[in-house]
Amino acid sequence: MSAIVVEDLVKRYGGFTAVEDVSFTAAPGEVTALLGPNGAGKTTTIEILEGFQAPTAGTIRVLGTDPRAGGRAGQSWRARIGLVLQSTSLDAQLTVTEALTLFGGLYPGRRRAGEVLDVIDMAADARTRIGALSGGQRRRVDLGIAIIGQPEMLFLDEPTTGLDPEARRRLWSVIENLTASGTGVLLTTHYLDEAQRLASRVVVLADGRVVADASPDKLRAMGGVPVIRYRLPVPPPGCTVPDLPAGLADHVADGELTLPSADVTADLALLTGWARENQVDLTGLEVGSPSLEDAYLALTSEEGAEIHG
Amino acid sequence: MVSDGPMVAGQVRYQLTLMLRTPRTLMAGLILPGALLALQLGRVQHLGQGAAADVLAARVAGLVVLGAMSVAYLSHASGLVVAREDGVLRRWRATPLPSWGYFAGRIVATVLLADAAALILVLVGVAMAGLHLTAGAIGGLLLAGSLGALALAAAGTAVTPLLTSAQGANPLLTLTYLPLIIFSGGFGGLSGLPHWLNTLMSYLPAQPMIDAVTQALQPSAGLSGRDLAVLGAWALGGLLLSVRFFRWDPTRPRHARSARAGKLARSV
Repeated sequence: MSAIVVEDLVKRYGGFTAVEDVSFTAAPGEVTALLGPNGAGKTTTIEILEGFQAPTAGTIRVLGTDPRAGGRAGQSWRARIGLVLQSTSLDAQLTVTEALTLFGGLYPGRRRAGEVLDVIDMAADARTRIGALSGGQRRRVDLGIAIIGQPEMLFLDEPTTGLDPEARRRLWSVIENLTASGTGVLLTTHYLDEAQRLASRVVVLADGRVVADASPDKLRAMGGVPVIRYRLPVPPPGCTVPDLPAGLADHVADGELTLPSADVTADLALLTGWARENQVDLTGLEVGSPSLEDAYLALTSEEGAEIHG
Repeated sequence: MVSDGPMVAGQVRYQLTLMLRTPRTLMAGLILPGALLALQLGRVQHLGQGAAADVLAARVAGLVVLGAMSVAYLSHASGLVVAREDGVLRRWRATPLPSWGYFAGRIVATVLLADAAALILVLVGVAMAGLHLTAGAIGGLLLAGSLGALALAAAGTAVTPLLTSAQGANPLLTLTYLPLIIFSGGFGGLSGLPHWLNTLMSYLPAQPMIDAVTQALQPSAGLSGRDLAVLGAWALGGLLLSVRFFRWDPTRPRHARSARAGKLARSV
């Protein structure tokens, strides 16, 4: 059974359509990434899934429940989800432990505050007031509050925006541990390496519509041909780099060969033959598969491009 | 499911913790009225004994209401706006805590703090100026103080939809709070006010609260039903308006609104 089911979701604000006919599912215990440029409809979609906004049309089920459910049904549903909002939303006057204990008191199946402190790697700052923490630490407290109720589904809205690389990696490993323990995650992010690292499934939105819904590997595979990259050596004064063979020379810009290659073996043979003949060192030569970013850029810039599967 | 009682009790503790750790709330709600009372005591003691008791009760009542307005109106409303604009309210809304539970916790904590500040001020009056206090007076004081603080907190909650930014909230709230407390006699009675202004003040929450607290502090006087009715009406009206118009979500930034309007224009 899917943790999230979205069918034919439409959201209009007056005459403006923010989301149109969006359908996708998210599996429990996996990270599903929702990607798209600003204005693509990501925030609208996630806010509808979190119950903050009502859809204009369509069917939404999160853990089998309509997120707009009120009364006891709504309360029970909210006890099963956790969320990290786009910006930190914590009272600066509380200590980390106080905040975790306070929110933990609302959930029947809560983790102990001490356990969460270990998970988010904040045990050393347990008695520090939130107002005295760095941005990365506050983000981890945000995540701690989101997971203290042992949610079955976790919504992470750009959780690592503004964090330094080390803090991002720490958060990634927390998220990986959570999914390993069965928590489903819906992640929105602008960092494609984050989606590549964490997500089992990527849903790409553009202009309010789903333009891709596939695994990261499948998206990458659809993103184009591999690329051969090689920075040409800087010759000693008075010398020149031997001319590259025709077919390669056309792809040199700013001293770097960047060659999209439909036949990597043949193109590499041409390059290595030239290097051997002219005794040129090929250190730094790279052959890269297209990145998720290449695929994403192709999808969000090409009119009518769609990938599903 | 966790039952509602423990969740709301947790909210009351949480809100009290926040308020006690906010220096501005303590300064405006307790320390400033206490300092003003200490300054006024000398002048009151120069009056004759009977007149002094009446004037002292009125001065203490005015400062009790000054503190209550600071805590239950100014700090309560600006705190709500800050919490809304910082996304704190949105986070609470996403938890199993029922929305009424958040407000119940916040308002109960506000009333408790206003009552505590009132009691401390009255005790200062007892200790330093011989203000006469009976058990009945304490009951009346708590009734008038609690109902007044509830009325002020409800009114403060009701005005928050009009306050669109955390930075702008305090100046705008002060603009309504200061004239109200001054013209209601919070710093001592004002003579020569136009009749219409006195009438207007008698229907706003500050003056009925000052009158009710003054009566509570005078053993011979009973609480006026009219004053309590006005305060009750403000409490009820404020809560009803809050239920109808309260906003949980931060105000959309102006640039986001214009971006959306631009998209709207392009799509038409």
